[in-house]
Amino acid sequence: MTAERTVAAPAADAPKRRVRWTDSPRFAHALAALLLAVLLAGWEWVARGSGVSALVLPAPSAVFDALVAGFASGYFWPHLAATLLAVMLGLAGGCLAGLVIGVLLAEFALVEKVLRPYVVVSQVVPKLALAPLFVLWFGFGVLPTTLITALICFFPLMENTLTGLQHVDAPRLQLFRMLGATRLQTLWRLKLPASLPAILAGLRVAVVLALVGAVVGEFISASEGLGAVIIAAQGAMDTSLMFAALLLVSLTGLLLYQAVLVLERRLLRAHADFPVDTPVETPR
Amino acid sequence: MDWSGPFLELEAVTFAYPGRAPVVDGVDWRIAAGEFHALVGRSGCGKSTLLKLAAGLLRPQRGRIRLQGAEIVAPGPQLGFMFQAPTLLDWLRVLDNVLLPVTLQRRPLPVDIERATALLAQLGLAEFAQRYPRQLSGGQQSRVALARALILEPPLLLLDEPFAALDAVTRAELQDDLVRTCRRRGTTVLLVTHDLGEALYIGDHVAVMRAGRIVEAIEVALPEPRTQAMRDGIDFNRHAARLRGALEGARE
Repeated sequence: MTAERTVAAPAADAPKRRVRWTDSPRFAHALAALLLAVLLAGWEWVARGSGVSALVLPAPSAVFDALVAGFASGYFWPHLAATLLAVMLGLAGGCLAGLVIGVLLAEFALVEKVLRPYVVVSQVVPKLALAPLFVLWFGFGVLPTTLITALICFFPLMENTLTGLQHVDAPRLQLFRMLGATRLQTLWRLKLPASLPAILAGLRVAVVLALVGAVVGEFISASEGLGAVIIAAQGAMDTSLMFAALLLVSLTGLLLYQAVLVLERRLLRAHADFPVDTPVETPR
Repeated sequence: MDWSGPFLELEAVTFAYPGRAPVVDGVDWRIAAGEFHALVGRSGCGKSTLLKLAAGLLRPQRGRIRLQGAEIVAPGPQLGFMFQAPTLLDWLRVLDNVLLPVTLQRRPLPVDIERATALLAQLGLAEFAQRYPRQLSGGQQSRVALARALILEPPLLLLDEPFAALDAVTRAELQDDLVRTCRRRGTTVLLVTHDLGEALYIGDHVAVMRAGRIVEAIEVALPEPRTQAMRDGIDFNRHAARLRGALEGARE
């Protein structure tokens, strides 16, 4: 009898699922924080009690001390600034180049046909392996690091721009043809806005890769920057400092990623299904 | 406008996609200014291709298409066009979507914005001008597409099954909106549909297309303005039966 009623009942009459306090995002956040505390406590306990050398695994408290000391003495600031500079310059240059080349490849079939094999080959070349060569060509410092970062950021942007522009739907293209739009108008007013989600997804990939590129670039070719700090700490056998630098790199990456997410949310507001605040039913 | 001949004239128009039998095969057709013509046919009979030819999106291999005596070579502002889907731009607000045909030509003047607002108001969308398309229902999106098609006040409006994706009630509302708006402006309408009821309800003239040819053309002798209630009347159904017979003719 109950089963029959359940089947017959229209969806609107179905009892609402009760919202439990375990469903709230706050609960999940609290759990995540708790897990972090447990992990850190376990790490501290292992580092102190197990007799593992601090050279191999420094306790979190030691890492924290190194972090505080680094900031207090002002040691970290120039390195952080150098890494951020390389990331920003590389990101800007690489993304801009990727966007422009992506547009050219999408708009001009001949360019695409001619350049496609080069693009594929250059995709396959491990960009980080070029770092020693860049040092040879451009010396030590910000320039080779920036170039590696730019090179790494270039591909996700180019690839996503190309794919986005090539997949604008046919009825909309026909609409622009019907309205007598010029090629430039079609690109600027239809293809680029329609590809914006794809392009921004490329940027999200690029921003994470940019940090990898900058840090690895600094491993090899710089005396300043968080990558250089890691290498220096390794040389000085200061593992706590290494962990501290690692933490800084991760936090920087997290912040950059969040920044892109915010940008994405702002730019794609109209693209996304955002909540409708007022009823949309026809007023008649 | 001192042109006295037919408004839109198709003369022995033939079109074939490369390497295939003609999709449109020697079509003759005359449409007078301000008339509403509907073209019905089963899927693949060439009716959408014929519409694209009339729009200037395709060029006929043989025959001629003239609008007010001048041959149509390319699409332009003299034509309004509405597709099967509303094809609005998600990133533009409703008002900017309606103004798109204007902004592709020039910077919109206050008078353009007024006209767009008036069109939206006529179609019951006045308070939605600042919304984005995704916040609108399917019927509302179709109305926005209709407003966009009419913003440049084109003398000819081409419609390719514009309401096919809508539910029956919304479709009926849209049909009324279309007829009312276009009659008021004196717009000539060419509608392609597979819905006999829609063709009869909107059209003054209905042509039946089969295998690339127009096999039947009738003048609809129903009083104006039409009401949805007429659809149940004897006259309406007699017309429908005649059209259905012409559509099914090939089966004998």
